[in-house]
Amino acid sequence: MAAKGVVNEHSLVGKNGVSTQHDRNGLRKVQEFCIQNGKIQESRNGSTHHSKEKKRKTVESFEQVPLYTAVMTYLGFYLLMFLGWLNQLLFTPNVAREQNREGYVPLYNRFESFYLRYVYRRVRDCWNIPICSVPGAEVVLKDRITRDYGWTFEFTGTETKCLNLGSYNYLGFAETKGPCAEESAQAIRDFGCAQCSPCQELGTNPLIVELEKLTAEFLGVEDAIVFGMGFGTNALNLPSLLGPGCLVLSDEKNHASLILGLRLSGATIKVFKHNNMKNLEKVLKAAIVKGQPRSRRPWKKILIVVEGIYSMEGSIVKLPEILELKRKYKAYLYVDEAHCIGALGERGRGVVEYFGCNPYDVDILMGTFTKSFGSAGGYIAGSKKLIDYLRINSHAACYASAMSPPVAQQIFTSMSIIMGKDGTMEGLRRIRQLAYNTRYFRERLKKMGVIIYGNQDSPVVPLLVYMFSKIGAVVRTLKQRRIAVVGVGFPATPLMEGRIRICLSAAHTKEQLDAALETFEEIANTLGLRYSQQRRPTDPVLYGVLDKVD
Amino acid sequence: MLVGGHGESNPNTTWLQSRGLWISYAVGMLTLHLILLSIPLLSVAVAWTLTNIIHNTCHFIFLHILKGAPWIPQDQGDCRVLTHWEQIDYGQQFTVTRKFLTIVPIVLFFLTSFYTRYATGHFIVNFVSMMLVVLPKLPQFHRVRLFGINKY
Repeated sequence: MAAKGVVNEHSLVGKNGVSTQHDRNGLRKVQEFCIQNGKIQESRNGSTHHSKEKKRKTVESFEQVPLYTAVMTYLGFYLLMFLGWLNQLLFTPNVAREQNREGYVPLYNRFESFYLRYVYRRVRDCWNIPICSVPGAEVVLKDRITRDYGWTFEFTGTETKCLNLGSYNYLGFAETKGPCAEESAQAIRDFGCAQCSPCQELGTNPLIVELEKLTAEFLGVEDAIVFGMGFGTNALNLPSLLGPGCLVLSDEKNHASLILGLRLSGATIKVFKHNNMKNLEKVLKAAIVKGQPRSRRPWKKILIVVEGIYSMEGSIVKLPEILELKRKYKAYLYVDEAHCIGALGERGRGVVEYFGCNPYDVDILMGTFTKSFGSAGGYIAGSKKLIDYLRINSHAACYASAMSPPVAQQIFTSMSIIMGKDGTMEGLRRIRQLAYNTRYFRERLKKMGVIIYGNQDSPVVPLLVYMFSKIGAVVRTLKQRRIAVVGVGFPATPLMEGRIRICLSAAHTKEQLDAALETFEEIANTLGLRYSQQRRPTDPVLYGVLDKVD
Repeated sequence: MLVGGHGESNPNTTWLQSRGLWISYAVGMLTLHLILLSIPLLSVAVAWTLTNIIHNTCHFIFLHILKGAPWIPQDQGDCRVLTHWEQIDYGQQFTVTRKFLTIVPIVLFFLTSFYTRYATGHFIVNFVSMMLVVLPKLPQFHRVRLFGINKY
């Protein structure tokens, strides 16, 4: 009689009377079985929980730049670089000259500081604007002016309250009042401000232990470990999981923290085209056939590293296809859910829940608490064996300061709210509001004829403006109209894809979004943002409808 | 200012692949040539030779003399010893961009020879200038520094 757990090997009969014993190289593999509804289900990675993988239709668009705009963008860049070069040659203000440094090597190489000082400096007032309030749905910006074209700034003394479309505040937990703030303040009184010690020495405290348990429960896996820094989680844990002789397949647009971690590990990195499953299979096959670089031996480990939502593109990873490939080629999977934990899925559990996959299938789940939980830090979750290994061998667990108590408490409280453990429906309400806001905003922008990248469900909306000076113009104009956005240009993005990156939040109300969209409509006319050459949808956009009736 | 934080540690390697570069490049060369042609002192042959020389000089300076990138590098300074040509596509040879940049000076040389009617003086100048630009692009010259010039 088969029951949950290990069964008697000899009395094993599977479906249709076929024996499902595997005899491989003389080793008999014992399989765990579970009988559910009369059907024998195989266990995967120790879990017998299977949820049906929903067939989700991915609606993504990455429209190419019109050729005329591309040529104009190049012209703009050449002009900027030429004028910048003349500027560097002829005028250097005292601010940029080093004082009392005769006989010393210059601090900054002239060539390496060229772009920063003579191109970026002209639009520098659009970035790093000081703020005077919590970056929630609205943010108060401190006004400043520059009298010498961006070299120095002076505060005017006034402040502007703007709608905040630039902060990663997906579930709106950036608040100064409410249960999170009160409990974090209490945590300072109970445990102090900082741990000042790594986890392996004195840094582990009851808050962190509870937080790790709660994170594991939230994600539906066995165990989790948290770190004080999100970037550091990637950069310091990948070297302990990989080494020379391992193969890594990394997406083209992976974040700098992942790239740094992979370079530090010493593994062989192969890059595949962004979210392109055919290319991934091709690269994977070729690398497996070739083997290790000089010895041609089989790889020790194969790891596929992807992100859940790519914050610069707004695209969502094609998880079901990657899981299929992973099973076919016996690779491990590392998913960095920095931007999608809390923001995707019906209960906010991230990209795994969004696609209806089994969290046990993803070997290493990584994420950060910065975006949806209103806090700081990162986590890695997976099987207990993996987490136990990381607790001992990870660089961050051994040398990095542990997470500080108020930060940990903020995450704990916000996660409990999202899970509904505080007894209210607040968490579900926030998740649902974010989903409605995302769909509504994206549909309305598409109707306007501007080019936006990414999946229809991603709360990061990159709006393409292409020309470098136009990024500055749009950010300044929007600031005048009381909307705070973030522009990104070369060299942070590809040359031809300068964009305004809008981040939606559950804290935004429909009225605020409508006001913002009206402003965008006016700007689309005056600043020329309607680049899309596709047909604009004409049906009216409804708020609160997630599945369109075809 | 963050440099290449999403995918590339050195954006200098891939910006030449962007859409519209070839057309912009052709338009730029055409503009230069038309400006030279409209100066009344220069004959057609001299204008073509000047176009060829100016184009090849710019090519040489930007692709084979200037090293590193105009921003503080995110790849721990790996690109500081490499010229832009060596940085393209992370050193991978025979990519589309590299082929384009190799063929353009050669085609320009053919056109210039035709329009200068193969006059000896013009031919020598144009040929030397073309060779100076095409030789460093050969894969055998990757990271080669002759006589220690431009090594650091």
